[in-house]
Amino acid sequence: MKLRKLLSTLLVVVLIATILIGCTTPSGTGTTNEPTTKPSSSSGQPDTPSTSSDKTITIEMFNVAANYQGLQSGWFAKVFKDGVNIELNVIAPQVAGDAIYQTRASAGNLGDLVLLERSDFADCVKTGLVREITNEIKNCPNLMEYKAQIDVFNESLEGNEAGKTYGIPVEMTNTSPTSYSQDVIYSSPMLRWDLYSELGYPEMENLDDLLDVLAAMKEAHPTNEAGDPAYPFSLWPDWDGGDGMMGIANVVQLTTWYGEKIKQSVIVKPDDTFTDILDKNASYYKITNFLNKAYLKGLVDPDSGTQNWDSAVAKMSNGQVYLMWYSWQVGFWNSQERLQNGNAFIFVPVKDQIYYADSDSYYGSGRILGVGSSVDDEKYQRIMEFLDWYASPESLMYQHCGIEGFNYEIGDDGRYYVKNSNALMDNLPVPEEWGGGGYNDGFNKFNQWIVASISTNPKTGEPYNTQYWSTYKESIMTDMKRDWAEKFGAPEPVDYMKKNNVLSVSPNVSITLPSDPPDISVVRNQCEDLLEDFTWRMIFAKNQAEFDSMWDQMTSQLNGLGFQDLIKHDKEVFSIELAAKKEAKAAAN
Amino acid sequence: MNFLKNKKKLRSYREFLYILPFLIIVAIFSYYPLYGWVYAFFDYKPPFPLTMDKFVGIKWFKSMVDTPTKVTQLLNVLRNTFAISGLSTLFSWFPMAFAIFLNEITSKRYRKFVQTVTTLPNFISWVLVYSIAYSVLSSTGAVNSVLMGLGLADTPRMFLQSSEHIWFKMWVWLTWKNAGWAAIMYIAAISGIDEEMNEAARIDGASKIQIIWHITLPSLLPTYFVLLMLNLANFLSNGMEQFYVFQNAFNKEYIQVLDLYVYNLAMGGGGYSLSVAISILKSLVSVVLLVATNSLSKLVRGEGFI
Repeated sequence: MKLRKLLSTLLVVVLIATILIGCTTPSGTGTTNEPTTKPSSSSGQPDTPSTSSDKTITIEMFNVAANYQGLQSGWFAKVFKDGVNIELNVIAPQVAGDAIYQTRASAGNLGDLVLLERSDFADCVKTGLVREITNEIKNCPNLMEYKAQIDVFNESLEGNEAGKTYGIPVEMTNTSPTSYSQDVIYSSPMLRWDLYSELGYPEMENLDDLLDVLAAMKEAHPTNEAGDPAYPFSLWPDWDGGDGMMGIANVVQLTTWYGEKIKQSVIVKPDDTFTDILDKNASYYKITNFLNKAYLKGLVDPDSGTQNWDSAVAKMSNGQVYLMWYSWQVGFWNSQERLQNGNAFIFVPVKDQIYYADSDSYYGSGRILGVGSSVDDEKYQRIMEFLDWYASPESLMYQHCGIEGFNYEIGDDGRYYVKNSNALMDNLPVPEEWGGGGYNDGFNKFNQWIVASISTNPKTGEPYNTQYWSTYKESIMTDMKRDWAEKFGAPEPVDYMKKNNVLSVSPNVSITLPSDPPDISVVRNQCEDLLEDFTWRMIFAKNQAEFDSMWDQMTSQLNGLGFQDLIKHDKEVFSIELAAKKEAKAAAN
Repeated sequence: MNFLKNKKKLRSYREFLYILPFLIIVAIFSYYPLYGWVYAFFDYKPPFPLTMDKFVGIKWFKSMVDTPTKVTQLLNVLRNTFAISGLSTLFSWFPMAFAIFLNEITSKRYRKFVQTVTTLPNFISWVLVYSIAYSVLSSTGAVNSVLMGLGLADTPRMFLQSSEHIWFKMWVWLTWKNAGWAAIMYIAAISGIDEEMNEAARIDGASKIQIIWHITLPSLLPTYFVLLMLNLANFLSNGMEQFYVFQNAFNKEYIQVLDLYVYNLAMGGGGYSLSVAISILKSLVSVVLLVATNSLSKLVRGEGFI
């Protein structure tokens, strides 16, 4: 009996104690609701602040760019440790869900280091979730190289008349806001050169011709070499509604082939005027209809609407896809070997197209990096040290080029030569002294760079991006590339576009647009879902009549949800940006 | 310290202490979250805390129904919720029947085997269930390979992409996952039936079917009714995981149930205030349903369950 009494008392005490402990304020954060989703690995942080950089610290980072959550491991963990003696613990809303932003923001601590979309960043400055870094950034020589761009951003923050510094834009370049340095633009039609040459290099006047070419390819090669069914188009729904554009991602990308750029619910036309997504003469209708025509010809992978990104990638790598449209997408197929064999993907022009491209991201790509407001001074110093190092040429070589001796080597002539170009694609094992493991597995989980890869490396005078090294270009100057160059009279796709005047470059500007008020955000979200669902169903419509009736149905339902208010709001917001772009264009001319 | 001397009082205090931890837990996990309802009355937008948001009264409740399209959408969602819940209520006898027939299997090893196999899916998460569904039913999946191999179809059939019979399909998946687990309760109830009754019936010459019909089934009915009532009270919550993983552009119109709708609204794009408003309404309706089924139970069985 006594024992039982004792036990029950103990139980009560333990329970109450657990509850009380669960409610205590975590030291240093000043909040009561530390989210339970906080990764346990952060408990590995030292209890007492470190006194110098010889103590490894863990930086917890809220990172909207990351598609991996958890502690950085593999060879890049070693790069971080050797460079500034830190461990990076990534919190990724792409993995954990967007709700984690709300949870952590209401807890008052997003992370030690935050990477956010521009408007969200501005909101976080207003609510005090981001720390001011005005004084310390002056002691960061590498970051000061980009002082002009950083200042332009911070001055654009609402209510920052004092000119304080809060954030650092990412993907900045050291070129200029109107220049275009890439060889291949972000989105353009790319075909398998071997299949295209087999058909006798047919010229394509418009999208219908493109469909005919793709249909002929499928006719000749209904399967890949292994016998799996191949389709010219394999779409995926995972990315819908991302990147500040309404509508399904695959359609939205293709609209840039006609010089139009979708900004949420509105479309900016090549002549710098606005129309909206529902305009039947604009590109959203045109491209959706194009994909429907492709479907009716049997050219669209029937799994398109239900497969996820991973299955889509597997099909790209297996050669089950005959059209690619993202510049990086070819990375899942093209290799030095295939470039040599002539069966790689490359841009093939369609005559009636004008290609939209964003200029070099001189002022950054739109995401902003900042320091969380709840870090202590000790950690703050280390974070600034980390950021400065992250923008240094030494660190940029790791970020953009990889490991010396594994991914590249310096020849006797002092030039840099690419090695193991398939390291990422095939997840090659890295040397033991770098901790072993796969190259892709241990890749940089930060997944964003302060300095873009197209920037010039002061050491070599060439861009960091290995594909722009003169040695690399020489090595891929294969028969296929020569064949292409001869056919189209230009060494690279962008040269062709510039020469034929079909490239419309939109200058990079630094404008912080206001984030959506709650009413608009609800309307946007509901409309976006509806628009995406209807678009998918329209792609799979049984005929043109069904397609058009769906489009009308969609239009009336969208309007019922308040789409016109949304268009009005978006037009107002993006006029600010458009005005700045016009100004930048005028200044450049 | 007079009350310490009163033994009866002291005992009641002590007994109160026994239950105190549970009261605290209930308060923290069931009542404290109700505080979150306050978000429905503000223009809430993260990262701004409530103190920086505008109080808007019942604006969000009104906005649910302020255009015909929104009303249609809400009605659609309710239709789906009622159809899917209705279907599972309609077939709620299924686990019971399964348990009865399982109990009739004489080979003990075989019976255990069947029971284990049918219970296991309960522990598989819906995400994995969907990957199984995808690998079986996609255009290159097992079913389509067989169909096309036998020449029964020349183009792959898109099972996952169609909204045909979707409510029934959802019920089948749910039953596949849950039937074995739900049957456990009935199996326990069956083993509680007095063996003497069965023996007496057998001596009187009752057949197996007669025993099931006149003894097993009536003994299970009280359990069945309690579970049914609880289900009815939960009519509006069919969970969201299943529909979240199976939803796509082609079937969403028929698959979006209330819970999923709330989730899509809030997590999809920050419509937190609106989705809180919707869930408040849902809770209120659920309370009404619970009270209604309880009075129904009182009326029919002469006793309530709460």
